[in-house]
Amino acid sequence: MSQETPLLPERDTREAALFFVVCALCFLAALAALSARATYDAAAGWTAEVQGQITVRLVDADRRAADEARDLIAAVPGVTGARVMAHEEIEALLEPSFGAGGLPAGLPMPLILAVEADPALENLAPDLQRRLTEAGIDSRVDAHETWAGDVRRALGVVRLVALSTVVLLGATAVAVIAFATHAALLARRDIVDVLHLSGATDRFISRLFERRFWVLGLKAGSVGALFALAAVALAMSMASAGSGRSGLLPRLSLDPTDLLILIATPILAALAARIAARITVIRSLKGAF
Amino acid sequence: MSIGNPDMILDFAVRLDGVSLRYDSSEEILSGIDLNLKPGSFTCLTGPSGAGKTSLLKLLYLALPPTRGEVSLFGRRTHDLSRNALSNMRRRIGVVFQEFRLLNHLTAYENAALPLRVAGQKEMDYRPDVEELLRWVGLGGRLDARPEQLSGGEQQRVAIARALVNKPDLLIADEPTGNVDPEMGERLMRLFIELNRRLGTTVMIATHDLTLIRKVEAPVLRLQHGLLVRDVEFGGNAA
Ligand SMILES: Nc1ncnc2c1ncn2[C@@H]1O[C@H](COP(=O)(O)OP(=O)(O)O)[C@@H](O)[C@H]1O
Ligand SMILES: [Mg+2]
Repeated sequence: MSQETPLLPERDTREAALFFVVCALCFLAALAALSARATYDAAAGWTAEVQGQITVRLVDADRRAADEARDLIAAVPGVTGARVMAHEEIEALLEPSFGAGGLPAGLPMPLILAVEADPALENLAPDLQRRLTEAGIDSRVDAHETWAGDVRRALGVVRLVALSTVVLLGATAVAVIAFATHAALLARRDIVDVLHLSGATDRFISRLFERRFWVLGLKAGSVGALFALAAVALAMSMASAGSGRSGLLPRLSLDPTDLLILIATPILAALAARIAARITVIRSLKGAF
Repeated sequence: MSIGNPDMILDFAVRLDGVSLRYDSSEEILSGIDLNLKPGSFTCLTGPSGAGKTSLLKLLYLALPPTRGEVSLFGRRTHDLSRNALSNMRRRIGVVFQEFRLLNHLTAYENAALPLRVAGQKEMDYRPDVEELLRWVGLGGRLDARPEQLSGGEQQRVAIARALVNKPDLLIADEPTGNVDPEMGERLMRLFIELNRRLGTTVMIATHDLTLIRKVEAPVLRLQHGLLVRDVEFGGNAA
C-alpha cells in the first residue's frame, strides 16, 4: 500500500456523461479549427492559380481586329503573353452552360483574348481597358483576380464562422465543466466538509477538483481529437475517390498546422477544465464559513 | 471582568462572549452564551437531546459563525480572521463528530492520517505514528479496513484517532462513547484524560452518559433552553 488513495473517489458514474460531452465538444471544435485552417490553403491555392490571368472579350470584332488588339496588348509592359482563344476552347468553357452539342448555330461567337501578365503588377486590367478604348476597340477586360477576391471574401466568411464556432464550443466546454464541478462539489459535500474542518485551505480542496477535471479534459480532448482526425481522414479518402476535381472545396490535407491543432485540442480542453473547476470551487467555498 | 482589555483573552483556549445561534429563521438554539475554557482544562457538556450541544460544539470547531456574539480561540477573535488563518486555526482543533464522518473510500489508516495529509505532511514521516495511535485505540489489526467493514465502535475509534493524530491544542468530542460498550467507553475516557494531563490539551466532551460523567473529575456544563448553566450535581472541581 505505497500509493495513497485520492481524497476524491476515483470512479464516478456521473463522469461518464461529462466525458462524452467534453469529448463531443472537442471533436467539433477540432473539426471547426481544421476547417478554418483549410480556408487559408484554399484561398492561397486559388489566388496562385488565377493571379496574372486576364481575359479580354471583344465586342463586334472580326479576326483581324482581334489580332490588332492582341498586338496592342502584347506590347504593354508587364504582359508576358497574349493570344486569341481558339473556337474549341471557348466552346469547352461554355459547355457547362450550353451542353456538349456545341453552341446554337445562330449565336454570335465572342472573340476572347487570353492574357498572361506578371502577377506582381497591380491595376494592369484597368490600364489595358483604357488603352483598348483609346485605340477604339470595344472590349471588356476581366482580371480573374477580381472574382478571386470574391472567392477569398467568401472563404473569409467561412473562416470567421469556423473560428467563432471554435470559440463558442470552448465557452460551452468551460460552462459544462463549471456546471459539472458544481455538481461534483455538491455530491462530495461530505468529503469537502471533513477536509474543510480538518484545516484544508480552499486551494487544497480546489486542487483536488482541478486535478480531477484536468485529467478528464486531457482524456476526453484526446479522444475527441482522434475522432476529428478520423473524420478528416475519411473525408479525404472520399474526396480522392471522387472525380479528383474538388472545385471550390477547401483542399483537404494534414500538414503540421493540423497536427498542432489536434495536439492542442486536449491540452486546451484540460486547461479550460482546470480553470473552470478552480473558479467554481474557490467561489463556492468562499461562500461558506 | 475583561472589558476593554484585549490581552485578557490570551488566558483562554476558548472564549464565547454573548454568543447566540439560530438556524435560518428558526428559534434561537443558543442564547447569549458566555464561556471560558482555560488552556489545559477538561470540561463536560451535557443536556437533553436537542438542547444544542452539537450546535455549541460546531461554533467551537469553527463549522459555523455565531449569529450574534464573539467566538475566540487560542487568544484570538475569529470573526475577523482571513480564510487561511481560520484553516490554520482548525488544524489546532481535533474533532470527534457525533456521526464520525469518516471518508468511506479511505482505509482506517488513511482516515486517521487525514489531518496530517491536509497539513501537507509526508506519508513516510507520519506512518509509524499513525499506526501506533491506531494500535493504541485497539485497531492495530484493522489498518486497511474501510469504514463499511468496521463496527460502529471501531469506526468511532478511527474517528477518535483522526481527532488526536495531529496532537491538537483543543479536542472536541461529540458523544464520543455513544457507540462503544461501557468498558471501551471508560478506556476512551481515560485516553482523553491522559491526553489532557500529559499534553495539556484542552478537552471539551459532550455526552449525556451520566455514569461516564460521574467517573470524570471535571466541571460539567449543562445546556438548557438555549442557556448554559454549571451543573451543580456533577460539578467536581469547579474552576
Ligand atoms: N443544520 C440545522 N438546521 C436547522 N436546525 C438544526 C440544525 N442542526 C440542529 N438543528 C436544531 O437545533 C436544535 C439543537 O440540535 P443539536 O445541536 O444537534 O442538539 P444536541 O446535540 O444537544 O442533540 C435541534 O432542535 C435541532 O433540530
Ligand atoms: Mg448532538
